[in-house]
Amino acid sequence: MMKFGNLVVAGIVTGSIYAVFAVCVAVWYRVSNILNLAVGDFAMTGALGVDYLSRVENWPLPLSILATLAAVAAFGYCYDRVVLSLAQDRLRRHEGIVVTFFFTFALSFFIEGIAQILFGTNVHAAPALWPGNSLNLGGGLNIVRAGILVLACAVISGGMFALYIRYTLSGKAIEASGENYLGARIVGIDTRRYRRSIFVITALLAAIFGIVESPITGYTYISGAVISLTGFIAAAYGGFRHPARALVAGLAIGVLEALLGGYVSAEYGDTVMYAILAALVLARPRAMGFESAVSN
Amino acid sequence: MAGLSRLVTARMRPGRPGAPLTTTGLVVVVGLVVVLAFGQQYAGSVLVLAFTYAIVTTGMAVQIGFSQQIAFSQSVFMGLGAYGAALLNTHLNLPTLAAAPVVMAGSGLLALLLGSVVTRASGLALAVATIMLPLIATGYVSSAGYLGGSVGMPLAGNLWQASSPELIAAGNGVITVIALGLVVFVASRILNSDVGLELYALGVDERTAASMGISTPRRKLELFVLGSMFASLGGAVYAGTQLFVPATLVGSAAELSLLIMLFVGGRRSIIGAVAGALAVEYVSGASEWVSVNILLVEGALITVVLLVDPEGLAGIAATARARLRERRRGSGGLAEVPGPADTAGAAADAADAAGAAGAAGAGRLRVTDWAPASAPASGTGVPLLECAGVSKDYGGLHVLDAVSLTLPARGRYGLCGPNGAGKSTLLGVIGGTVSPSAGRVLLGGTDVTGLQPQQRFYLGMSRTFQAVHLITGRTVLDNVAVSCLRSQRSSLAAGIAGSRLGEARDKAAEALDYLGMRGLSGREVSSLTLESQRMVEFARAIAPRPRLLLLDEPAAGLSEPQRDRLSGVLHALGEVTCVLLVEHDLGLVAQITERIFVLDYGRLVFQGSPAEFNDSAVVNSLLIGQ
Repeated sequence: MMKFGNLVVAGIVTGSIYAVFAVCVAVWYRVSNILNLAVGDFAMTGALGVDYLSRVENWPLPLSILATLAAVAAFGYCYDRVVLSLAQDRLRRHEGIVVTFFFTFALSFFIEGIAQILFGTNVHAAPALWPGNSLNLGGGLNIVRAGILVLACAVISGGMFALYIRYTLSGKAIEASGENYLGARIVGIDTRRYRRSIFVITALLAAIFGIVESPITGYTYISGAVISLTGFIAAAYGGFRHPARALVAGLAIGVLEALLGGYVSAEYGDTVMYAILAALVLARPRAMGFESAVSN
Repeated sequence: MAGLSRLVTARMRPGRPGAPLTTTGLVVVVGLVVVLAFGQQYAGSVLVLAFTYAIVTTGMAVQIGFSQQIAFSQSVFMGLGAYGAALLNTHLNLPTLAAAPVVMAGSGLLALLLGSVVTRASGLALAVATIMLPLIATGYVSSAGYLGGSVGMPLAGNLWQASSPELIAAGNGVITVIALGLVVFVASRILNSDVGLELYALGVDERTAASMGISTPRRKLELFVLGSMFASLGGAVYAGTQLFVPATLVGSAAELSLLIMLFVGGRRSIIGAVAGALAVEYVSGASEWVSVNILLVEGALITVVLLVDPEGLAGIAATARARLRERRRGSGGLAEVPGPADTAGAAADAADAAGAAGAAGAGRLRVTDWAPASAPASGTGVPLLECAGVSKDYGGLHVLDAVSLTLPARGRYGLCGPNGAGKSTLLGVIGGTVSPSAGRVLLGGTDVTGLQPQQRFYLGMSRTFQAVHLITGRTVLDNVAVSCLRSQRSSLAAGIAGSRLGEARDKAAEALDYLGMRGLSGREVSSLTLESQRMVEFARAIAPRPRLLLLDEPAAGLSEPQRDRLSGVLHALGEVTCVLLVEHDLGLVAQITERIFVLDYGRLVFQGSPAEFNDSAVVNSLLIGQ
């Protein structure tokens, strides 16, 4: 029983990592109809950037964090201004699968390439923000301190995005941008501004998350791709457009992964999990939210 | 050299299938020349590797590019081919060349099994379901000891066994090029055939394709098998030329590099797919710095190429060639430029309209010509279409509420109602794209409620949709021919053997003649004005000579003369077949139809003649707001 409890706790911590990225993917897809597969790379940049500045350059920790976040925000802004504007705002918009997958795939490669040059190929992590041993929750249950921060981060960001879209006027405008780009522009919604601001906000969120989370797992320059992929899968199970569902899906995948790793096989746990996930899509596509994601 | 470059760009034009023999000849000749010229140098090994990947990307162009079936399974089957060949060679001493067909057959079988489950999904669901495959495969491969675990597996057998390393390198290179040539030939034969045209239609929209009689589940499965077999051939060639199967050959990163090759080259072009593999491999082998920083380079490369043209290198080459020709000929060459060239389109349309001034009259004269093809004279008294208590709920929302209506074998019928009344949903239920929550649909007395759209098509049902779904890159004639293919029993393999496109094109030409649109038949569809595109869709709907024609807002976006033409044609068609149209233009409905149905909040609130329609208080309050 203790094993089960600890696995669930560990699963929730891992799951909240996936959940945050799923939320980021879902929110931006809702605005722009583009899947952001570079979110994980922003997290990696956050973690490795802070590590580099504080450990190698000996900057104080708060300054390192601020500088890294500023760099991520500036990069996100420039990327939207240059690449996405060229791809989306010209007379002939790029539509369909090219936009959906490829621009952010390429961005992910690009960021990883830069990170390789700047930070090298070793495993690093930002300094722990809440140092100390694992907390005992009683009854033999343990949770790492960073895990609590991670979970809090996930719930707060997911909840805020869900409330924002549901209850505010600009949230509605965001929804309109994704539903019908041209229609939204005609009624006076600046879709470009929303696309840009949400892109920068999700990049920042991912970076903060990477800084908070990295003491648990440690990052290399290519860690981002795996996280993005799991976040993408979790977002898919939330129908790509619903941050709250994406959050739940991310947590569920994390718990499933931990339980399979603990009870089935440490070696093949992930393999079994992916098989289960694939089976779910195929057996119940509608219930998993896929019909709404496919726009014809 | 100029001749060669012209040949290359002509074959590379995205969206158009190149002639199989010229395309294959080009690939094989260029491939052999470079392999034999550079075979003994470092560049030679890079080229052979690039041709190996090109075998895989050619299959991807058919599956992902033309048919828009985004499946992330290529690296898995490439790995299967490579590991399979290595195992057969190491343990059974089978030469790698002989192992290749064995692993291809094995992959084909596995793909058939896996595909029959996976290809039930479409769109993003298919992408998400298949993205698990490389993840599962990586997990398996990296912990399987007999495959060399996370390192990989060496083997001894070259594709070509010879005494000297020079001969081995040359032989390996030649075999790789021949394998690529074979794959290119098969792919372009398929794309040029009637089955290939179905794949193009599948790539536009699955729902529309099904409504034109295309058996979408079957085609998707066949594509999955084809792509997988090509990928495993690529894998076997990889094993036989590199003599080592790295574990990284399988997995999401490998999957991405394959996709990058395809998209850099141009996803809707066979030559483009080959060129993409060459370009990416050449760039990665170009210098020490590049191979260390390959991620950065690939990321920047694909961003730049896609920004310049979403159709990749093939698109860039085609545009450059079109520009060049334009400059050489002056403005006269404009009509040949693919893409929206509305000025030329309008001119040609005007000429066409002038030539077809009496199209409606012509239609009326030849009214008996358009009798339904499959007209098993339904027994007297049996209505052609019967909807009995059809309901459709989405959650708690009743979009259709117990709608019952019957239509006889001939005549023109209108379906009206305010926005959101359920008109398009009812059309969807009749056409088979929407399954009703309750009620039955009968066609000529046969219950078709459980039938797929493509099965209903073969029972004589044909329809148009609100939005225009045409195949860009193909001509008007081919777009109309899609609905005359009747290839439901042909397989992709039949497409390799021969094409029955000719018959379908003849039927399509008849339909275009009937509508007075013959002048447009050679034009590429995206160069037409929107109204001409709608008329092409209409031609496509009537070309198979349906018993029941379902039209969703056929007059939307049409000009006044075309509206008149349309109403003339509908008058004529109504004499021989049954036409049901959803339309907002009440004047047009009252003018054309002989009986009108009105829906409101999913309920049938009125049915009657145009005269009754004009006088009805219900109709006036609902539709005119009085």
